[in-house]
Amino acid sequence: MSLRTALLDRIRALHGSMSARSLALIGILLPLLFLFLYVAVRSGPLAPVSVVAASVETQSLEPALFGVGTVEARYTYRIGPTFAGRVQRVDVQVGDFVKAGQVLGEMDPVDLDDRIRAQQAAIRRAEASALAAEAQIKDAEARRTYAAAQARRYEELLKAHTVSKEAVEGKQQEYQIAEAGLSLVRANLAAARQELARVRSEYDVLRRQRANLQLVAPADGLVASRRVDPGATVVAGEAVVEVIDPASLWINVRFDQLRSAGLRAGLPATVVLRSRPEAPLSARVLRLEPVADAVTEELLAKIVLDESLASTPAIGELAEVTVQLPPTAPTPVISDASVQRVGGRLGVWLVEASDLEFRPVKLGVASLDGRVQIIEGLTNGQQVVVYSERALRPRSRIKLVERMPGVSL
Amino acid sequence: MISLAGRDILHAWGKFMFTGVGLGLLIGVTLTMAGVYRGMVDDARVLLDNSGADLWVVQRETLGPYAESSSLNDDVWRSIRGMPGVTRAANVTYLTMQVRQGERDVRAMVVGVAPGGPGEPGQPGFLVAGRHITRSHYEAVADVSTGFRIGDRLRIRRNYYTVVGLTRRMVSSNGDPMVFIPLKDAQEAQFLKDNDAIIEQRARTAQNPRLNRSGVPGLLDAVIESQGTNPYVNAVLVQIRPGLDPEEVAEPIRRWMRLTVYTRAQMETILVGKLIATSAKQIGMFLVILAVVSAAIVAFIIYTLTMGKIREIAVLKLIGTKNRRIAAMILQQAIALGVIGFVVGKIAATFWAPFFPKYVLLMPGDSVSGFIAVLVICVLASVLAIRAALRIDPAEAIGG
Amino acid sequence: MDSARSVLRRGIHIEGLRKRYGEGDTAVDALKHVDMQVAPGEVVGLIGPSGSGKSTLLKCLGAVIEPSGGRMTLDDQVIYEDGWKIPDLRALRRDKIGFVFQAPYLIPFLDVTDNVALLPMLAGRPNGQARERALELLNALDVAHRAGGMPSQLSGGEQQRVSIARALANRPPVILADEPTAPLDSERALTVVRILNRMARQYETAVIVVTHDEKIIPTFKRIYHIRDGRTHEQAGEARPIE
Repeated sequence: MSLRTALLDRIRALHGSMSARSLALIGILLPLLFLFLYVAVRSGPLAPVSVVAASVETQSLEPALFGVGTVEARYTYRIGPTFAGRVQRVDVQVGDFVKAGQVLGEMDPVDLDDRIRAQQAAIRRAEASALAAEAQIKDAEARRTYAAAQARRYEELLKAHTVSKEAVEGKQQEYQIAEAGLSLVRANLAAARQELARVRSEYDVLRRQRANLQLVAPADGLVASRRVDPGATVVAGEAVVEVIDPASLWINVRFDQLRSAGLRAGLPATVVLRSRPEAPLSARVLRLEPVADAVTEELLAKIVLDESLASTPAIGELAEVTVQLPPTAPTPVISDASVQRVGGRLGVWLVEASDLEFRPVKLGVASLDGRVQIIEGLTNGQQVVVYSERALRPRSRIKLVERMPGVSL
Repeated sequence: MISLAGRDILHAWGKFMFTGVGLGLLIGVTLTMAGVYRGMVDDARVLLDNSGADLWVVQRETLGPYAESSSLNDDVWRSIRGMPGVTRAANVTYLTMQVRQGERDVRAMVVGVAPGGPGEPGQPGFLVAGRHITRSHYEAVADVSTGFRIGDRLRIRRNYYTVVGLTRRMVSSNGDPMVFIPLKDAQEAQFLKDNDAIIEQRARTAQNPRLNRSGVPGLLDAVIESQGTNPYVNAVLVQIRPGLDPEEVAEPIRRWMRLTVYTRAQMETILVGKLIATSAKQIGMFLVILAVVSAAIVAFIIYTLTMGKIREIAVLKLIGTKNRRIAAMILQQAIALGVIGFVVGKIAATFWAPFFPKYVLLMPGDSVSGFIAVLVICVLASVLAIRAALRIDPAEAIGG
Repeated sequence: MDSARSVLRRGIHIEGLRKRYGEGDTAVDALKHVDMQVAPGEVVGLIGPSGSGKSTLLKCLGAVIEPSGGRMTLDDQVIYEDGWKIPDLRALRRDKIGFVFQAPYLIPFLDVTDNVALLPMLAGRPNGQARERALELLNALDVAHRAGGMPSQLSGGEQQRVSIARALANRPPVILADEPTAPLDSERALTVVRILNRMARQYETAVIVVTHDEKIIPTFKRIYHIRDGRTHEQAGEARPIE
């Protein structure tokens, strides 16, 4: 082998060994470079946005309304005196059942009994006066009869010229006096009778007032609270005992005005009491209150349970009420997560072969599980963006994925 | 001619790569620090973007609702809604508090939004899972950075909320994740006290003889009930008709309603200029120090690498290598080191940024500036080393 | 006559070389008067105690420092006459002067072939040609089998041979060897001298060996002694080494 060939072989071998080392270094640097480019393009603001899309489906929705309310009694009878006074006794305790007409307690009569007795005395006196007046009538009637007879007799005698004219006039005058006396006495009797009537009426008033001191249950029910204990002073109109009808409980529910379209009496509802969250109860809407709450911007409605419960819930307990509205006719439906406001208009992002377009839509009814009707703007089968990694813009590059990265469900 | 720099790198590639990786980590830390700063500013910007509002109406003479506490009556929004140019106005409350879920609690900003549905001001703009709030009570939409999942039960003050939707990048200016709940629940959470405090307050009211008069039944009850209402919100968010100048819409509201109104630009100034200014400065200073230290270390490394080759450089000079070639070798090595360092640093920063508790925003602009800075530092550092190398006397190769 | 003269003029000629360090009162004359000539193919020794100006002379010969006066002619070209007559000293060192050091001083990050091929590459030769020349020299020095290895893989003697090959790579007219045998034992030292002589003859190079190694001094035909900055020539023993 000539020197030249040997040398050339050596050169080739050298290049080979050099390349091996260079290759090793390139083997490290190249992946590094790729990683770098990957990082530059795939992360940060240059990266495409991952989105999850879904098809518009034609479905019927079962919208419902949600509100929170409190359990209340339909009728609460607040029983108290019509006069200021002191409570003498309360006969019932909280939780007692009472019947209509049952006496629940009594106010302190104070001087009322004495006044009644005084009035009774006054009645007797007025009766006596009336009797006296009646007796006087008889007396006056007798006098008049005699005076009338005397006047007639003297008129006869005058015709016989036996007596003087003066004497006849005198007797006539006596007759008139006796007449007047009778009228007077009659008037006295009338007065005495009126006085008697008046005193009797006053007595009745006192009697009724006395009866009023009793606190009487107007209907059957359950004593819900005992506001005042015996010995305390209450004013007129203050409740001493509250009685409710446990069979007539309802739930006073508040619905946000913005989302209560379609609320009306008769709709079925589900009630979940706060103390019994795992036992939903069926109920229905009794009525929608004509007067809403303008301050809190809520509509008020009354819900009654379909079946009364074995253990009555406490008054004032919170309840979550869901009213079912009738299902809608099938229309295109999407998830409300797709709805966004862009440029002042409400709409969705439409996906057409990785192109993005914002389509304004008109929304209809929404259900509580987050689906909403599309009245205008979309047709069945179109793909809309449901979830996106970032806010989308018309020129965003998107990448369709099955599930959002980084979100564990 | 072969590349001396290339041969040297190839020969000591392990040491070179090791140095490059170390340098890269340092550069990565610096890039991350810049990302932390940018993330803070972005948190503020995102907060304003996500609120979906063009104007913020707050209590008079406050910087609220983010920088200062602000309290408005909750019926003020109706008057604002009627002002010219206003298309939507919604009440909103903000309260940063601990949200409990199971055994753990998370610091979050609880946002009370009027349940008008998606697109209303205050509502999250987009979701990454689940759905929006549909019920007027006891539902919540949480940001994924809370760690909550769909179906979790959260406890906020006295109520439990079910998570029905998740969002991303909905954070307060502080970086705390947001949790959206219905407005009325939020008002209660913010303004209604806890049970013990309420009972004490009732007892105190009952002891007040002017409120607890026996001659006026029902007065005490009425007073206690009025104490329990929560008619306040923190701000009203306003959307205006597209195309209008926000200042034009804001000015009448300021004048006639005697409230303070901020436009987007003004809110940004408040947030960035006042709220995060101190933290931003803190981080900014740290960034500067970090950059200076990095530069010094790069310079030191390159200088040391060169000084370790004194003998070789002397021999090269002696046997007739031009100064230019020696300088080029040092410069090429410095730049190669810088490039490797930057590549490693950028990759490292990108991969560890998501693990930071607050948002780290690595902007391409920053990366480009960083790259240029690294190259400039490498060149300057190599200048130092080149000067030292050129001063080496070839005669040193010839022993005394 | 011309050819004779041109043979005489090739190699290295030094006349009246001086070197002064410093100025005024502190001035030191390291070299006071140096005359030296070495013909192509000749291997001469340069011997002197430390402080005699030996290394200064070497540095002047290597065009590393500038002398203070005198004349240096190399390969029929005046390179110094009271001032450098060559504009590019680096190119001079690269093309006209070969250096062999006490230690091999190979570039550790270049392989053996490239260590030798570096010089021709610096001179502008294409890489392939430079490597061919390198391999030739390595072959001549019996280290071609190590051509692909890195300097750290070679033994001391092999490295020394490679450094000699490097010195010869650009076919310089003169080689300056500075204590090339100092760290070696007598057998290896003689081997190096043998190689130098062979190379000198083969490539018609003048070789100046600075040394104080007793083992090899007897091998020189001519020796220059340098003391106090002056040289004087002496005939050597010329002991055979083959």
